[in-house]
Amino acid sequence: MTLDALDPLIHVPARLQIVATLAALPEGDALSFPRLQDLIGLTPGNLITHLRKLEDAGYLATEKSGNGPASRTSVALTHRGRAALNTYTAAIRRLLDGL
Amino acid sequence: MNGTRDIDDTAASDPDGSFDPREAAKLLDQTTRQARRRLDLSSPQLSLVGATAALLALGAVWLSVRGQHPYKGPTAAGLLVMYGILACWIATAVTFQRRALSGVSGRSVRQQRAFGAAIVTALVAVSVFQGVLHHDGVSNAIVYGIYPLTAQLIAMGAVAAGLQAAREDWPAFGIAIAVMCVAAGGAFAGPRGVWLIDGIGLCVVVLGYSVAQAWLRRR
Repeated sequence: MTLDALDPLIHVPARLQIVATLAALPEGDALSFPRLQDLIGLTPGNLITHLRKLEDAGYLATEKSGNGPASRTSVALTHRGRAALNTYTAAIRRLLDGL
Repeated sequence: MNGTRDIDDTAASDPDGSFDPREAAKLLDQTTRQARRRLDLSSPQLSLVGATAALLALGAVWLSVRGQHPYKGPTAAGLLVMYGILACWIATAVTFQRRALSGVSGRSVRQQRAFGAAIVTALVAVSVFQGVLHHDGVSNAIVYGIYPLTAQLIAMGAVAAGLQAAREDWPAFGIAIAVMCVAAGGAFAGPRGVWLIDGIGLCVVVLGYSVAQAWLRRR
């Protein structure tokens, strides 16, 4: 097994942290952008960039509620994103077993 | 910004740009543990405080009734100590849970609110029924001894068991069932002994949960 078996979208430190953090929530729950930032410790600009890439792949869904300064963005892992993380975890275990 | 950092697609990677699978596995494990710990609605420490609070609160009432012949019910001082300890415990638990649920929305929050409403309704219903028993002339040993604690613990245990079954949190489900068993078994100790037996039983059950939580977190 080679590194190619690992999902390139998840196999990046920042995105791995984002997906793993959101996967710690029960299915059906979402996390606000500031709390996700607090848990991971990325700058807002960097976090937005990585969230967009994951959202484009259908791994997570974002929802904006409210308007103006009171607006709030929530992020949740989709069923597809959770499945992708499970596949990634299994692949990395197999890869490390083979080393 | 304090406490934040920039990580691009090649950061924390090897010089050739690839992200070492060993590092990835370590990061995945660390992130998952940290997120679970910070988003968890309970903790071994919180359970430890709960176990101590149960023992002290019910022990205080037992001290106030153990010499009563015939049984009259908990004294004002005993009740004051019990409610004071319970108020401190509830404030601690609510603060902890609010911190864990900060920024979280969706199913868990709705479940937690429904659980709170169900617990309050169950406790009010138990108290109303206690009033009915008093009104119908049932003895103090039942109305102010065996009934209130037994009924409240069984009601809270049943509501908690329902919630934990829905969440598929089986250790917490087991604790809720154990609380109901302690309540039912403690009733055999009579109006005085029920406070002590339930206090010790709850303390042991919640301590066991605290140990189980600590063990599950280390795995």
